[in-house]
Amino acid sequence: MPRGSDDSPRCVRSSRLRASGPFIAALLIAGSVEAATVSPRNVLVLHYNSGVLPANVELDRGLRATIESAPDRPVSIFDEFLDMPRFGGEAFDRTLATFLRDKYAAHPPHVIVVGADDGLAFLLRNREETFPGVPIVHVGVSLRFLRSVSMPPDIVGTAATYDFGGTIEQALRFHPNARRLVLVTGTSQFDRDWERRLRSEVSRFEGRVTPEFLAGLSTRDLLRRLGELGEDSVVVTVGYFQDGNGAQSVPRDTVREMAAASTAPIYSVMSPQIGTGIVGGRMTTFEEMGRHTGATVNAILSGVDPASLHLPESVSSSLHLDWRQLRRWGIDEKSVPADSVVHFRTPSFFEQYRREAFATLLLVLLQAGLIAVLMTERRRRITAELTRDTQYTELAHASRLAVAGELTASIAHEINQPLGAILSNADAAELILESADDRRGALQQILADIRRDDLRASDVIRRLRTLLSRHVVEKRKLDVNDAVRDADSLLRSEARRRKVAIETRLLADEVAILGDPVQIQQVLINLILNAMDAVAGLNEERRVVIVSLSHDDGRASISVKDRGVGISPELQPRLFDSFYTTRKSGMGLGLSISRSIVEAHGGSIRVESRPGEGATFVVELPAAERGEPR
Amino acid sequence: MREPAVVHVVDDDVSQRTALLRLLGAAGFETRGYASAGEFLLHPVPDNHGCVLLDVRMPGPSGLDLQDALRRQGVTIPVIFLTGHANVDSAVRALKAGAVDFLSKPVDRDELFEAIRRALELDARRRAEIDEAAELRARFATLTPRERDVLDRIVAGKLNKQIADDLGVAERTVKAERAQVMQKIGASSPAELGALAERVRKLGQY
Repeated sequence: MPRGSDDSPRCVRSSRLRASGPFIAALLIAGSVEAATVSPRNVLVLHYNSGVLPANVELDRGLRATIESAPDRPVSIFDEFLDMPRFGGEAFDRTLATFLRDKYAAHPPHVIVVGADDGLAFLLRNREETFPGVPIVHVGVSLRFLRSVSMPPDIVGTAATYDFGGTIEQALRFHPNARRLVLVTGTSQFDRDWERRLRSEVSRFEGRVTPEFLAGLSTRDLLRRLGELGEDSVVVTVGYFQDGNGAQSVPRDTVREMAAASTAPIYSVMSPQIGTGIVGGRMTTFEEMGRHTGATVNAILSGVDPASLHLPESVSSSLHLDWRQLRRWGIDEKSVPADSVVHFRTPSFFEQYRREAFATLLLVLLQAGLIAVLMTERRRRITAELTRDTQYTELAHASRLAVAGELTASIAHEINQPLGAILSNADAAELILESADDRRGALQQILADIRRDDLRASDVIRRLRTLLSRHVVEKRKLDVNDAVRDADSLLRSEARRRKVAIETRLLADEVAILGDPVQIQQVLINLILNAMDAVAGLNEERRVVIVSLSHDDGRASISVKDRGVGISPELQPRLFDSFYTTRKSGMGLGLSISRSIVEAHGGSIRVESRPGEGATFVVELPAAERGEPR
Repeated sequence: MREPAVVHVVDDDVSQRTALLRLLGAAGFETRGYASAGEFLLHPVPDNHGCVLLDVRMPGPSGLDLQDALRRQGVTIPVIFLTGHANVDSAVRALKAGAVDFLSKPVDRDELFEAIRRALELDARRRAEIDEAAELRARFATLTPRERDVLDRIVAGKLNKQIADDLGVAERTVKAERAQVMQKIGASSPAELGALAERVRKLGQY
């Protein structure tokens, strides 16, 4: 089928240059014997068809590349296009032969390359009139033709194989459910030759599939018929030059149209048709044929006797496939034979961006690792915080127990006071009952007093139990005024025992904070007890502890002021450290725990003191938003 | 007839005070209540029969402070302490200062009554001593200056003749005056006269 090709302008131009090259060389060598020994060798390529056919372009590419790759040997390649499918007849034959003989009289070819059965036949008919004795290398000639003629030994070449059988076999492997084998051909002489070949090939598939020839249809009808095919069909074609209406075309274009219209996969044996929409087929590419031919030409040009060349009878075919079409028809890539050539394969994302993918993967892995580390770290931290919270709660509780121990005398007094009253009242009542007098009114009064004192005693115990409880820390809305009042009532007795006056300056309005009542009270008790310690042993007028409240800017502050000796500036920074104490008794945890509690409530604690002028501890806590749960 | 004994209850805790007054009242004691040491001191120091039931811990001056103040004023009324939380230091201090008892609240009725009984007995005894001393002072007050001179010399152990020489009078005159002194004082012998004179001197009235 290759019939003279080189359709591109580049090739045309280069052909002209090469044509003029030897001419100039001939002028130059006129007086130079030495130069004659390096005179260029001429290669005439007779393309069977016109130059624009894709098959020719492919073939030319392979041929030229191979010939030109031979070093240090000027070669001129001349191309002629016999245009035989469309023109023919005895007169054309004769005129063409004369034309070639006259044309190349000045540049006699050293080797002639000829394409296709008809091209070789032309040359065989006109060899004596045109280029007698010039070795001929044929390409793309069918095995059948070669076997039908007796070939002189200086005409060599490898037969073209169009592996329809292998192609159909492969198609049926890809489409095991196919029941119809549709074969499309055209109406030109050439097309009918193909039809004959196809008919001889498909006979062996009868029984497995039903062959169905679509020949001689108009392009429109053909495309409609192809569009009506179903999944049970496979189409095999090589395209056609002429349709049923006599419209001329080029096989590759017709295949492209068919592929667009067909609802069944199309297979072909022509390599240029890869990319038009066919799935593929077993084929020898024209470029490959061109390379084989070029190698033979090179051998002859270097002086090898053509008859001594042992060329293979035919070039083996290989399976060529369009990857996109494999995808389109749902053909599993695994079922593609390993030795097949897959065109237009879009590399998978991973193949295309291997480096980037690896980098990304690495990054993701690193990130995942980092996240894992951070998560572990976070869990560890939470556990640590929980442990710390537990320890802190325990410590706070221990500190409260210590405070309660300090308050034992006062607490006992506070409880014994009502108990004493109750007992005395009961005794009095007994005496009254023993006497004969009817003093019911007095007894009623006594019982009311007993009840009141009992409640008073249990209230003391309740407050004490709250202070001593190992409770679950629970923040709720509470009024700082109440907190101060509670602390004051718990400490009033102790203050009396120590002869210290506690003065509270409350706010007129409720100032709510979010806090744990027990812990807030603990802070207040710690601070007030410290203040009472600070003023112990001083003159009575200085034995005063002032607890005052203020509220501004979303913060409630509680200050506990004493008029003691104050705290020296060097000691102030260590005040809130654990186990730092200036007292003989006590663990030195009061202020440390107070700070922990205040900070856990989102607040701060600080001391303001000048030696000799007493100290003021200020606790600032964020005021609760309105509407927060009570 | 003597005024009845009064139990003075000093306690700042109103319910405790009320209960004590009620109990003591039911037991037949005459009582009087005070809310603080100061209030007790503001009232004229009771001269009559009684005792003080004193709370140790009170705002302002404590029970112990009040005890000191009474002692400094020479008021000998017996004191019983009542405390909510007994503390060795204050108990020792109170008892050294002469407290009759140191009781813990809640106090047992019988224990309280026993303490009050002892306090009132002590008070009665002291009061009797005071009454006796006052009578003795009154008897000594009836002596003329001349008779005191004679008394001094009798107590010093001088004989009638020596006294007569000292005073420049007859021995017989001394004898008569001596009999007069013995009669006025109510002593039956010179030894008894000497003991009585010594007691009066100790009371600082002579």
